[in-house]
Amino acid sequence: MKRIIAGVALVALLGGIFGLSCGRKEDAVELQDWNFGGKPRMIEWLRHRIDAFGQTHRGIRVAQSQKSWNMIRELLYADFSVGTGPDVVNVHANYAAEFGGAGYFYPINAFPDFQEVRTWYVPHLLESTRYGENYYGLPSSGIAFVLVCNKELFDREGIIPPRTWSEFREAARRLTKDTDGDGIVDQYGLVLLGGDKGGFAYRLIPFFLKAGADVMSSDLKTVLFNSPQGASALQLIADMYQVDHSITPGFLAYQLTEINDIFCSNKVAMSIEGPWFRGMVDDKSPGKKIYTVPVPVPDDRIAAYDTASTLQDMVMYSINARTKHPEQAWELVKYLRNEEADMAWIREDLGAIATTRSALGSSEARNQSDLSLYVHELAHAKPWPPHPGMIAIASDIFTPYTQKAIVGELSPREALDQAAREAQEMIEGKR
Amino acid sequence: MRRYTPYLLLTPALLFTVFVLVYPMAQNLVNSFRDVSLVREGGGWTGLLNYEHVFGDAVFWLAFRNTVVYAVVGTLLALLIGLGLALVLDMNTGKMSSVAATLYSIPWVISPVVAGFAWKWLLNDHFGILNYWLSSAGIARNGTSWLGNPHTALVCVMVARAWQFYPFAMVMFLAGLQSIPAEQYEAASVDGATQFRKFFHITIPNLRPVSSVLLLLGVIWSFNDFNMVFVMTRGGPINASMVLPVLVREFSFVHFDLGKGSALSVLIFALLVTLSFLYLRVLARREQA
Repeated sequence: MKRIIAGVALVALLGGIFGLSCGRKEDAVELQDWNFGGKPRMIEWLRHRIDAFGQTHRGIRVAQSQKSWNMIRELLYADFSVGTGPDVVNVHANYAAEFGGAGYFYPINAFPDFQEVRTWYVPHLLESTRYGENYYGLPSSGIAFVLVCNKELFDREGIIPPRTWSEFREAARRLTKDTDGDGIVDQYGLVLLGGDKGGFAYRLIPFFLKAGADVMSSDLKTVLFNSPQGASALQLIADMYQVDHSITPGFLAYQLTEINDIFCSNKVAMSIEGPWFRGMVDDKSPGKKIYTVPVPVPDDRIAAYDTASTLQDMVMYSINARTKHPEQAWELVKYLRNEEADMAWIREDLGAIATTRSALGSSEARNQSDLSLYVHELAHAKPWPPHPGMIAIASDIFTPYTQKAIVGELSPREALDQAAREAQEMIEGKR
Repeated sequence: MRRYTPYLLLTPALLFTVFVLVYPMAQNLVNSFRDVSLVREGGGWTGLLNYEHVFGDAVFWLAFRNTVVYAVVGTLLALLIGLGLALVLDMNTGKMSSVAATLYSIPWVISPVVAGFAWKWLLNDHFGILNYWLSSAGIARNGTSWLGNPHTALVCVMVARAWQFYPFAMVMFLAGLQSIPAEQYEAASVDGATQFRKFFHITIPNLRPVSSVLLLLGVIWSFNDFNMVFVMTRGGPINASMVLPVLVREFSFVHFDLGKGSALSVLIFALLVTLSFLYLRVLARREQA
């Protein structure tokens, strides 16, 4: 009798386990979502949003994991190249060319309701997610690079944020000083993110664009950043470093956290940043005031101050081309980036700029700090050219050569010509 | 059955070694002769092309020079510090010696990543304590950028590396010092030798085998050291502190050219094996003589 009972119990137990595991598989589709970077408030918001998605979409379970923005390309390539990786991921929009071109991202224009979804977004922002004929993601945050000024230091010196290069240079000179009278300079005019190869290129190229230089020809076949306008922009920064000594001497070693540290402790007055910076400053020094203004233009282009391009960047939500559940992944992406979700970008300071027409046109949008500046700058900002090799060119060729020019190892003209030669070889497939 | 038991017991460890060491190394060697890219379709066998690309890369030669300097000078510096402290500890001043030995050993047990971050903050131009001390003493200006200056970055990383390695050298030297027969010093004293002569004619010759092993190990470990350089400078500024292991990572996971990265790692491996082999042969000959 005992044996019979034990046998029945065993069968029931095995049956239960088997039934449960089978049932789980049939009940819900599991999606992997990787979130790169973001402020703590943004990460928290995202977690709540995904929980809410789970409540309204019972057949889809989302496993979300947080990743470092610094490792984004390594992680994605390592996974995508072996056919794995997340179903949904947030990335730079200019990855559309690199990853979309390589077949790693799903063309979202293949979904039947894409035409309706696209009407949610400001058209030129959505265009940043396009490579060739396909769109590879929904916009998440519009980013324009601007000049951030330390209001306390500017007010103390009695000056206003600069508009032209000569005002910019003069302001940096005046704000570089020995504040405690010990004979040593302890406050600088400008800091640049020199310790991050990609980040440095993103902060230097706005000066090139404001001067009227282009990075590449429109057919993506010729490198153009070594134009006279480009050389004049690099000369400006080199002169500020070598002649005026108004750029922090150690900028080549700085990561973003160090820039925030010295900015908040009043050791530097200006930096080239994006929408994330106000929140970073506020987290570190609550109540600290900053001015955000367009990156200055050359003196002879002052008439174009309101229309000269800066660098446009964008974050987008994309779908892995090899996902087993494209429809469900599309549902998740839409839920994370629909007009209702985008209103959170307006209501809370999440370090991101809204991208939908309804959010940007809402009455609440008028109250958000800096939004009008970013919207204005984004209207005529230029993204990196959509060439698959652009990120490598910016990080591995443009940055080292321009840094050599700034510290005086090469002249700006030599540095840009050598960088352009190597970049051209890369475009032509010789490297 | 008893005959096979040792082999059976060894099998799991052997299988594990093959799986985690031999197979990846063999695959790496194969990759170094192939066009393996994470970014584009691989192009199959390429012969020695990856090696050609490595040798044709200007950053490789800069990294090679930096690595040799980092490994040799950094190790020698660590040996000097280790020897100095071992001599102090060998004086055996009672409880103080064991306390000091424990304190001096701390750098060895700290994770290289944590140590790298600590040094990075120590050397920070605005908030670092080193600048504070040096400027207080009137030696250097406050705000001196140690890691942001291409002329000082490698030296700083080397000092940090020496700081991590010296406790190991110290312990080894201390063991070496304690194994020197006391009679040698007594005989020298009877002959009227000074401390200086005793040190150079008794201590140093007796420590030669330990020094040789330490130099070899230190150079090999430093040659392969990735953590300290990556955390402190990432090979910057403008590649001024670029070393070969960080360059392998650049080729493989920044440029996503695994073929070129594999070729460079094979070269590092071959170089270290050759160095070790030559060094051990010289050592063996000397001992025979």
